Amino acid sequence: MFSHPSEEEFARILDFYGITWRYEPVTFPLDWDAQGDVLEAFSPDFYLVQEDLYVELTTLRQSLMRIKHRKIRRLKELYPEVNIRLWDRRDFLRFLERFGETGREQELIGKEAVRG
Amino acid sequence: MEESGRQIADDIARVILTEEQIQTRIAEMGAAISRDYAGKDPLLVGVLSGVVFFMADLLRHIAVPVALDFMAISHYQTGGSSGTVRITKDLEYPLNGRHVLFVEDVIDTGLTLSYLLRTLRTRQPASLRVCVLFDRPKRRLIDIPLAYQGFELPDLFVVGYGLDAHEHYRNLPFVGVLKPDVPR
Repeated sequence: MFSHPSEEEFARILDFYGITWRYEPVTFPLDWDAQGDVLEAFSPDFYLVQEDLYVELTTLRQSLMRIKHRKIRRLKELYPEVNIRLWDRRDFLRFLERFGETGREQELIGKEAVRG
Repeated sequence: MEESGRQIADDIARVILTEEQIQTRIAEMGAAISRDYAGKDPLLVGVLSGVVFFMADLLRHIAVPVALDFMAISHYQTGGSSGTVRITKDLEYPLNGRHVLFVEDVIDTGLTLSYLLRTLRTRQPASLRVCVLFDRPKRRLIDIPLAYQGFELPDLFVVGYGLDAHEHYRNLPFVGVLKPDVPR
């Protein structure tokens, strides 16, 4: 179901705290051609139902985040009523640190330097 | 084996909030709570164990009658089997009809606090508000109204004044950043 171990861990955390969530429940079209066909779309990873909040979880390195940021900016322009938060690898690392977890960073967020 | 004579303050690279800054702000929060809860005989509730430092100092700055209670919960462990939060120590007092002020040392994602507030609301308090010393809003997932708020923390791993690294450093009277070579 999940495309990355970090997503599976995130889902477990939400379950632990009793948060109702959906995985990639909506795809938002971001760009269309002249015929109205969708050229680009974006599916946020999680939707927190009670919070009406979408969460995009990414473990991409900062240098590769530009495309992700652009998509989220575009989504906010086209759908200003949508609440979305981006959790990057640093956010996830800090989160793991707070739970005292320091042994599974590579498994969950990859092998690149994560402290920077 | 632990190096003899090691001082926990030696592990701090720099101080983010001094003891004086923390105590000054807590005195202000205590004064505000005293005004707002005069005549309401509120029950202050905290979750063990990081909050004990803040709770103890806050109580000394509240000038109106208050009662105190604590609870404890299990925390998430990564990679563990799925499950839910367990209350490992419940409150001693019923909340029905009481004005409850939930006191917390830090709010980050809001997940823990959200769970606790949902649980306490089922006990039908007359009111339920939140007092937080340290707010770390960057990773907030669950928006929770904060009636009283001390400081906004930067996006750094910090310890002290209740905040721990592997259960250590809570007893520092200030908040600081660990040196890079210190395990966190």
